Parts: sequence; structure tokens; C-alpha cells
Amino acid sequence: MILPKPTDKLTPGEARTRQRLRKQAVYIGIAGLLGGAIGLLTGVFDRGDGNLFAGNWDQLALDPAVAMLLAVLLLFGFALLPLYGFRSIDDYKREQNFIAFTGGCLAVLAGFPMWAVLHAGGWGAAPNPFGVWLLGFAGMTGAYLYALWRH
Amino acid sequence: MKNRLKVLRAERDWSQAELAGRLDVSRQAVNAIETGKHDPSLPLAFRIARLFGMRIEDIFDDGDMA
Repeated sequence: MILPKPTDKLTPGEARTRQRLRKQAVYIGIAGLLGGAIGLLTGVFDRGDGNLFAGNWDQLALDPAVAMLLAVLLLFGFALLPLYGFRSIDDYKREQNFIAFTGGCLAVLAGFPMWAVLHAGGWGAAPNPFGVWLLGFAGMTGAYLYALWRH
Repeated sequence: MKNRLKVLRAERDWSQAELAGRLDVSRQAVNAIETGKHDPSLPLAFRIARLFGMRIEDIFDDGDMA
């Protein structure tokens, strides 16, 4: 994102556009801070032997209070902040977001049963929750990039 | 959908950022509408028409005019 160069005389419309960009930058900054806080807390307070990517979930361990705090931060990061964002963006960006979420939804709807039957046929590991979440996230990201390219 | 947004904007010597601010949308939205990559919603089309003091069909052409 490139902020317009500050000038002495911004027209009313350009001033509003600049204000919109500033708001967008604050939004991205808060999202980054939330992500950083979640990563930092998880890294510092992780006291188990499990690994999110390895699939040994039962060995993941956090203090109950830290786990609760992380859950609240995740709720803000993945639900409340995006919901606020959807209410702030214009039609054009909302359309791009719809395409992105459609991509994520379709990736899970098609990806999970495909993964399950492939596993049943001896192709790869069994489906797991984090893998399904990654499918959705990757599908959403891919669809968003497509929307940016297409529009 | 074809439209005259770029011409109307140029006639007023407005930048895309200026028009976007007046319409309360992002500059990317103005660009996407001008290049025909995005069709505005009906409320936005009305805002555009009011801003330029014209009718919607004087700005936008769906190519299906009788």
C-alpha cells in the first residue's frame, strides 16, 4: 500500500481517500500486532512436546489462563476484526473478499472428502483438523490472489 | 459494462483519489469501474449519477439499449 505524498493543499476527496488509507494502515497494523502477540505467547508459554504440523496434538500444552487469552486473541484476529473490516470496505473490495471466502469454503468442501478417500486408498496420512484448516486458509488465499489478478 | 466515468472525471480535472473520496470508496474501486473490471452496485451507481448531476444510463451503458 502506497500512501499519497503529503501536500499543502489536498482537495476534499483526496483528503478523504488519504483518511481511508490511514484507517486501512491502522487496521493492518492492529492485525499484525495481534498475529505477533499470538505467535509470541504461543512460543513463550508452550510447554508441551507436540507440534502443530506434525499432528501430535495430544502433546501440545499451555497454561489454562494463557490458552484462554490466546483463544480470545484468536477470536479477535480471525472473527471480530475481519467482521469490522467487512463493514468498512467498499463494494469492490467486498466482492474480492466474497471470492476469497468462497474459495476457502470450496477448498474444504471438496478437499476434505478428497483427502479422506485418498487416505482410504493408501495415499498419504489421515485427514486432521489443522490440515483441514490449512486447506481452507490456502483456498481462501489462492482465491483472493485470483480476485486481485482478475479484477 | 462501458461507462463514461473517466471522461467525466477528466472534465472536472479530478484524480481517481479525488473521485474516490467524493464517492466514499477506495481508489482501486474507481479504477476498476473506469476500466470496466467492476460493475458498481446500484446504490453506488446512484451516488455516481448524483455527483455528476446525470442519470445512471447517461453514465453507464450495458450495451443492450433499444
